Amino acid sequence: MIQKKICMIGASGVGKTSLIAKFVHSMFSDKYLTTVGVKIDKKTVSVDGSEVMLMIWDLEGDDDYQRLQTSYLRGTSGYLLVADGTRQITLDQAIEIQGRVVAAIGPLPFLLALNKADLAPQWEIDEARTDSLSARGWRSFKTSAKEGAGVEEAFIELGRMMTQSK
Amino acid sequence: MPDLDRDSPAGAVLEALGFAVFVRDKSGALRLSGTPPDWLRSIWPDVASAASLPIDHASPFLENFLVDAGGCWSAGGEKRARSGPWVEQAADGIELSLEATALTAGGQAILLLERLGEIFEAKKSMLQKARETVIAYQRLNSEMQKKEILLNCISEEMNAALANVITSLRLIEMEKNPAQIAQLLSLASRATEEQQTLINKVLNVFAAELEGLRGRNGMAIAEAKLGDALLAAEENVASQFADKGVRLSITGNGLAGIRVAMDSTHLTRVLSTLLENGLQSAPAGDEVRLNFAEESGSILIRVTDNGPSFPKDICANLFSRATTATPGPQALQLPFQFCRIAVENCEGEIGYESRKDGGNSFWIMLPTLAATK
Ligand SMILES: Nc1nc2c(ncn2[C@@H]2O[C@H](COP(=O)(O)OP(=O)(O)O)[C@@H](O)[C@H]2O)c(=O)[nH]1
Ligand SMILES: [Mg+2]
Repeated sequence: MIQKKICMIGASGVGKTSLIAKFVHSMFSDKYLTTVGVKIDKKTVSVDGSEVMLMIWDLEGDDDYQRLQTSYLRGTSGYLLVADGTRQITLDQAIEIQGRVVAAIGPLPFLLALNKADLAPQWEIDEARTDSLSARGWRSFKTSAKEGAGVEEAFIELGRMMTQSK
Repeated sequence: MPDLDRDSPAGAVLEALGFAVFVRDKSGALRLSGTPPDWLRSIWPDVASAASLPIDHASPFLENFLVDAGGCWSAGGEKRARSGPWVEQAADGIELSLEATALTAGGQAILLLERLGEIFEAKKSMLQKARETVIAYQRLNSEMQKKEILLNCISEEMNAALANVITSLRLIEMEKNPAQIAQLLSLASRATEEQQTLINKVLNVFAAELEGLRGRNGMAIAEAKLGDALLAAEENVASQFADKGVRLSITGNGLAGIRVAMDSTHLTRVLSTLLENGLQSAPAGDEVRLNFAEESGSILIRVTDNGPSFPKDICANLFSRATTATPGPQALQLPFQFCRIAVENCEGEIGYESRKDGGNSFWIMLPTLAATK
């Protein structure tokens, strides 16, 4: 079976750990437990008829307290860049981190997950913003780790992009 | 290097500290030195029988770290590489936090595996608090920005509406034709209505804030020192009192050490509101009195002035929950609504009495928190 490593990248509290919990264990908790260090989960998905084992690396959020350690990115086939749609600033942070990732490991397939889509009234990221990102070739998904919307789609689409780009 | 004996002092110390020591042999395999600690066996049960670390298939994280470790070992000398913390799941489902260190000792390549303990847990809970604070701050900040923008837009619109009223009035002054006057009047009256709607919008912005305050029930218990809050409130109003030549006399004792279950900024705002209100009705050169009295398990604070009593209809609605469409009295009520919600949130009471011999008296009763040493 093909194995692919993917990394979860983004600011703290955007829902990286929650997206994995939903995707791998179908679980969600409202309580925020910050991630310190790395945790790896596995899940087999079917991408266009072939089985792919995803090794999902949950990385500690990149912030003033802990910078993203690029040695963890070694061997990754792609990454899910996560931002919190209810905090506009986390999208700016995601864009900045993505720049550092490219500098460290070069261009690789990635998807932008605009998470917490279930919190529509607090949504801060407007269409114009996502339009300008897609003009730069960024593909984004609205996801909700709470309700599950877009979660599986995002991981599988990333799996597809990685198997196609060998 | 000889094997570390678990019974030797050095081996026992390493084990007690939660370390497992591996030495790289000529074939490149990492051989366990000494007996494996229990936690190691709970993650990789065959580590004891194989006596080497089944890294390649067992831990993708370690496999990745060995690249950095390799660089460190070939450099030799003092150089070290640390993996940073990571989580492995034991056979029984329990998650263990580990960290690996690569170093060279006695000419041999060593890999230390450490089970992270109390210090790591303490660091984690500190990071938890720090990150929660950052997120709360970001939310507050963007909330404030949104309000600022909204208030700015509303002010602009109000200004435009006011300009329409003023222009209409000027034209009416010069106009003789009754039909024209009627038209201008209706224009002006529409502009005033517009203004009223806008003012209500502003009030609604703050109404939402009051709602938020109400929602604090059940959250972590806030706590304030009454003495400190009173000092802060006094400071807030001092210059206004001086301007009007009104004295503030504070009576009562035993204030030191009294604590109540309210956010200290809220308590300061409540006290400032009562004092400002007293000042407003007090005659110039007169005084406002604040008296507090501790009763069993609660404190009664009373603010009294000698000004004219509030009209009856206003008294009836002073702390009313109902928000009416008429902007006038609502604006007056807003600070009192805040007081009521803040006071009731910590299970206190607020009230007003007009005094027989003239003047007003506002009181709040707050349950006190038991003294802690
Ligand atoms: N409403 C909602 N909350 C979410 C969602 N995803 C995560 N959260 C919450 O956001 C907080 C941070 O999530 P976490 O997964 O720990 O973020 P991480 O730091 O990026 O790993 C937690 O309180 C989660 O419950 C979501 O899709 N919707
Ligand atoms: Mg996390």
